[in-house]
Amino acid sequence: MGLSQALAAAVSGLHANQAGLSIVAGNVANANTPGYTRKTINQVAVADSGVNIGVRVGDVQRQLDAFVQKQLRSENAGASYADLRSSFYDQLQQIYGQPGADTSLDSIFNNFTSALQALSASPDDNSARIGVVSSAQLLAQQLNSMSQSVESLREGAESGIANAVGSANDLMKQISALNTQIAQSNQNDTSKATLMDQRDNAIDQLSQILDINVVPGLHDQVSVYTGSGLLLVGDKPATLSFDARGTLDANAQWSADPTKRGVGTITLTSPNGTPVDLIETKAIRSGQLAAYLQLRDQDLVQAQNQLDAIASSMASALSDKTTTGTPVTGPPAGFDIDIGSVLEGNTFNVSYTDKLTNTQRQITFVRVDDPSVLPLTDAATANSNDKVVGIDFSGGMASVWSQISNALSTTGIAASNPSGTTLHLVDDGTSRVTITNASTTTTVTSFGTGDAQLPLFLDQSAAYTGSFRSSGVQSQGFASRITVNAALIADPSKLVTYGTVTTAGDSTRPNFILSQLTGSSLTFNPNSGIGTVNSPYSGTLDGFMRKVIQFQSDAASTASTLKQGQDVVLSSLQQRFADNSSVNIDTEMSNLLDLQTAYAANARVMSAVKQMLDTLMNM
Amino acid sequence: MSVSYIGSMSSTMLQSILDMRSKLDDLQRQLGSGEKSTTYAGLGINTGVSLVMRSQLSALQSYDSTIANVGVRLSVAQQALTGADNLAHTIKTAAVQTDFTINQSGKTGEQTAASNALDQMLGLLNTQAGNRYLFSGSAVDQPSVVSSSVLMNGDATHAGFLQILDQRKQADLGADGLGRLDITRAGASVTVAEDAVSPFGLKISAVNSTLSGATVTGPGGPPASLNVDFTGTPTAGQQVAVDFTLPDGTEQTLTLTATTASPPGDNQFTIGATPTDTATSFEAALNTSIAKIGATTLTAASAMAAADNFFDTDSTHPPQRVDGPPYDSATGLVDGTSANTVQWYTGEDGPNSARTSVSAQIDPSMSVNYGMRANEEGLRNAVKNIAVFAAVSFTANDPNANDAYTALGSRVGAALDGPANQQKITDISAEIAGAQQAFDAAKTRHSQTSNMLTDLLQQVEGVSQDDVGAQILSLQTSLQASLQTTALLSKMSLVNYLSS
Repeated sequence: MGLSQALAAAVSGLHANQAGLSIVAGNVANANTPGYTRKTINQVAVADSGVNIGVRVGDVQRQLDAFVQKQLRSENAGASYADLRSSFYDQLQQIYGQPGADTSLDSIFNNFTSALQALSASPDDNSARIGVVSSAQLLAQQLNSMSQSVESLREGAESGIANAVGSANDLMKQISALNTQIAQSNQNDTSKATLMDQRDNAIDQLSQILDINVVPGLHDQVSVYTGSGLLLVGDKPATLSFDARGTLDANAQWSADPTKRGVGTITLTSPNGTPVDLIETKAIRSGQLAAYLQLRDQDLVQAQNQLDAIASSMASALSDKTTTGTPVTGPPAGFDIDIGSVLEGNTFNVSYTDKLTNTQRQITFVRVDDPSVLPLTDAATANSNDKVVGIDFSGGMASVWSQISNALSTTGIAASNPSGTTLHLVDDGTSRVTITNASTTTTVTSFGTGDAQLPLFLDQSAAYTGSFRSSGVQSQGFASRITVNAALIADPSKLVTYGTVTTAGDSTRPNFILSQLTGSSLTFNPNSGIGTVNSPYSGTLDGFMRKVIQFQSDAASTASTLKQGQDVVLSSLQQRFADNSSVNIDTEMSNLLDLQTAYAANARVMSAVKQMLDTLMNM
Repeated sequence: MSVSYIGSMSSTMLQSILDMRSKLDDLQRQLGSGEKSTTYAGLGINTGVSLVMRSQLSALQSYDSTIANVGVRLSVAQQALTGADNLAHTIKTAAVQTDFTINQSGKTGEQTAASNALDQMLGLLNTQAGNRYLFSGSAVDQPSVVSSSVLMNGDATHAGFLQILDQRKQADLGADGLGRLDITRAGASVTVAEDAVSPFGLKISAVNSTLSGATVTGPGGPPASLNVDFTGTPTAGQQVAVDFTLPDGTEQTLTLTATTASPPGDNQFTIGATPTDTATSFEAALNTSIAKIGATTLTAASAMAAADNFFDTDSTHPPQRVDGPPYDSATGLVDGTSANTVQWYTGEDGPNSARTSVSAQIDPSMSVNYGMRANEEGLRNAVKNIAVFAAVSFTANDPNANDAYTALGSRVGAALDGPANQQKITDISAEIAGAQQAFDAAKTRHSQTSNMLTDLLQQVEGVSQDDVGAQILSLQTSLQASLQTTALLSKMSLVNYLSS
């Protein structure tokens, strides 16, 4: 090996040291840059004819654990989901109020029952009457405002989806653009590594928005799929679109049918132009988007349903009057009921024993004025043991009688209309059934009927009858519309006076209201999430209200626990990832020392060669 | 919120510092407010307990306010009842006084006192507790009774008690004052007959005779009559005793004794030379004696009957009036209507008992009935007898006035006591006292329960200052340690030790 060769080797060493130094400098400078991974550089010995003739700078390497990175991305989605859901639940908790505060739902309800209790003790006392009316108004207003809060949280989720979709589109474009740039750089140098860092960072951010699956390809390219397998970024980015709605109310629900949809839906348009509805295909399973969707379409809807169940049960418990039919001794035996005062949404029913199987059955007929909602499902009433038949009253009474007859034709009960609005229900002669009861449940719409029932709460200014219409069930969103009857506000004495002559001290009506609210067992619609279709929750109204608060508080603390768990998992994964990838200043400094020493050594070699050459020249 | 990785600092460490910091903030809030959480979610599994206890507490508070409210009513009612009972006692004592000195309006001092007592009694029955009439059943916004002047005098269209009293007196005494008896003689045969089948006047219930030489028959009928047919000569000292039933149900026996003296003394007849002479004297004695009964006991009994007619009313029993005019020959009673007769009780009068007309829920499972009506037997009896004693007036020159007054006074005195099984004012008082005891018991129970619930609620919702203080202290220590360690670690960089 000649001196010139040694000189060349020393120069290549200096080059390698400089390259190493620039990597160290880059690492130190980017120590706090998000998404930056520690870079290292490979040095390759160059040999010729078995003789080492220098060093060559190799590829710039990114230090990362691909397995941890994959896990981290999946947990990123889970953690964002849990985090977002928990923060919404925190906000939702606010509407139920602070425990024991005057503004909490249960305090306001308790105040209402206390006012009724006071009225029951002093029905003649005008201030007690006014007290009941004003506490009922407070309760109605509380339900209105809670319902509005729930809907504004849903609106928040709706706009959250819009923002998340926008960010996702940006990130997908970035990833795609970075893919292209990475493909173009054919050298594994620092700039390529930096591009890959940027791409990883974008993918990490995307993984917070929705659950994704990253598939590495040739030439450092990646394809990004949703967790469910739809392509988000391939050669080109796909586009997410979301038709956000500005305001939501309780009736605004997601539906696959665009004409019935009151909220936006997320559509994925792939580069080749096929749109896919991600909500319909349930393609989003985690991440912020999944949390927003869960909140908008499930959790908050459930909270709204619970408020609606409280409002509608309260209104109908006070206004609905059940009248048992007149027994017909026969034979054929049965019952006569008068369906003349059945309002839209009101019911009349027949209970009978099927003699063959000796089982008790019940058929509930519901008055429907909008035939487009027919047929009704059995879930139309909270009662789980009845068969529900909607009867269209819009076509006149003749049609009503024949609809009832047809509905009963296979049961062994003969229905007829002997006169007026009387429904005559008897055994049809085949002796298959024993009719055990028949009754009508009608909504009382005025105060002085002689009944203790009263229309205390109204749906804005209309009676709450639980009607079914194509625009929705009346109970849906009722919590946002419930009001105290204006006639009662104008004349609170109607809280006591139920007949033509009611003495001032007669507490029949106050006692009735009180017992309906706190003593009578009611059945609640299972769409509130409390109780199931087969065994709906039965209990007192105040008990149900407490169940609702407890349900929400449990849901909120579960969401919070889930979030804390996810945080721990995510932090530890981040720690593991960072252990491997992050810049450790100490390491860099010791590398720096190495490089300095090596540089000095290479320089020493050069100076030695120079001296030797000088010696040679001066000979 | 998890933190993204920052430089060489451990993210787990940062996370735990943040957690500690937020926990410290929360503890500080707890210390300030004394509340474990600002949301139900923060109460965790105790949410249900907290909600139920709050609702129980609220219910207890409303029951307690009912108890306080109704308790006042009951105390006021007790005072009124005690007052009414005292008045009844006073008048009972006054009524049996035999001193008969009447003033210009034809009444004794005791009667004037009774008139004042009636005013007070009606005032007591109209007692209100906070705009609420206590003796009107459930018609708590209606006065219970009319004023004493309306009760006595009525108005232009409504007959008052005085008018009823007068009409009844006419009907009982008849035009001739003989208690609606016709006394006739045909030769030696004397007949005493009721003038008609009617509820009025003297009713012959029995006749007993020890007379020799006279055939006594009767009472036949209806209408009842008796006949004394003198056939011979009775012996002096022999008697005929006729039992009369008076309109108020009391019995009066008229005993006529045969005497040889002429003229005969009171309740005596002279044995004449012939049966016809004896019969003539017997007839005269009958006329005199029955007229005296009419002016004394019958008048008093008639007044008592009139009082029953006027006061013993309820929703199904309207006041009874003599079917007239003419009243002195009336043969029956008719229902007084609200258009023509004063209804002295103006409260609610439903078919259920007075007590159940008003009730108060004082416990989830306990309801106390405390309704009272002024026309309950005990109160009605007091009002009725005080009113009748106050109403009857006398004339100074009437020789029978003193006897009539005594007859009235003894009747009123006896009636104010009433038979043993009749409701007394004290019975009402005792029943109300029972309700008051139930109230007190419930109140004590409630305060115990509510203390317990408040304690429990404090445990569930509240925090102990000591606990929180200790937690803050320990958290502070570990937070300080963490921060110090972090600071030390961040200083421990090779950079600091490289010489340039």
